[in-house]
Amino acid sequence: MSRVLAYCGFQHGAQIALPAVGVGAAPVQLMSSGGLGLLWSEVEWPFVPDQMQRSALEFHEVVRHVFNQIAVIPFRLLSVFEDQQALRTFVDENQERFLADLERLKGFVQMECVVYPAPGQTQADSSSGKAYLEKKAVAMRSSEGFAQAVRNAVAHLSHEVRVREGKNGTRIFVLVERGRESDFRQTVGALPLPQHLARRISGPWPAAEFLSDQVKAPEIVNQKVAGQKIAGAK
Amino acid sequence: MGRGRRIRLSLMPTDFESVEILGGEEEVSLLEILDHVLNAGVVIHGSLVISLAGVDLVYLGLNVVLTSVETALNNLQIEEKRKK
Repeated sequence: MSRVLAYCGFQHGAQIALPAVGVGAAPVQLMSSGGLGLLWSEVEWPFVPDQMQRSALEFHEVVRHVFNQIAVIPFRLLSVFEDQQALRTFVDENQERFLADLERLKGFVQMECVVYPAPGQTQADSSSGKAYLEKKAVAMRSSEGFAQAVRNAVAHLSHEVRVREGKNGTRIFVLVERGRESDFRQTVGALPLPQHLARRISGPWPAAEFLSDQVKAPEIVNQKVAGQKIAGAK
Repeated sequence: MGRGRRIRLSLMPTDFESVEILGGEEEVSLLEILDHVLNAGVVIHGSLVISLAGVDLVYLGLNVVLTSVETALNNLQIEEKRKK
């Protein structure tokens, strides 16, 4: 069966070069509503698990193609709509919120730094419960300290910073003016790091972490998404 | 392999091998791409597979990522069959 796969939304109007093909070599199509442009493709659903990696890269390439030119709001890969009409309803209902976020994030990109236990440091001391907790506490304080150091160091080039603790480390998201990505890399890369921690810097990414909640998880009324009827969700 | 963008296939943070795809020049980890395309951005309520959201995929093994996706897709297929 086929479904409608949404890639990303962007401010439509400027001269943006659009990608021709997307996931599974499907033609990429443009849906407009007001000043909002949204790219989508009709794809075979569900995806073949063996081709999941390829699909992810193809999806990423479509989003990146537009993101290289302008701010975008990415959808998640596995978000599909029942049909084109369902997507049209969604776009019409959400265009104002999308456009407000795009205007706010215009000119910015998301840079990231992940701090995680250095290789060989992941084995917690299990000699006793107390030793384990102490080691965990030290690691947490180190990560928090480094996150604060990043905040301070990038204050001159960051618009906003968010920090999220995860099972696999501390993720630091920084909203940086487009064009200053290398400044971010140099600044964060030069910060001293506690011996038992490692860092990984990545970006630029679309500023997905800084989307408003209503855009991240929009309410959907009376339309079908991925085969489910969502009625009166509001 | 030309001047395409290098993508590092990362099974663990320090375990990289490289492939190339056409495009820019910066290096990114495949797992980071997977993490972003699956976990960052607009979530459509009701999408069955979106239960993957919230799983921090970065720095998990690639097999774990793909297994998670495969499991989710299997669940979706079961759900689809149930509806028929």
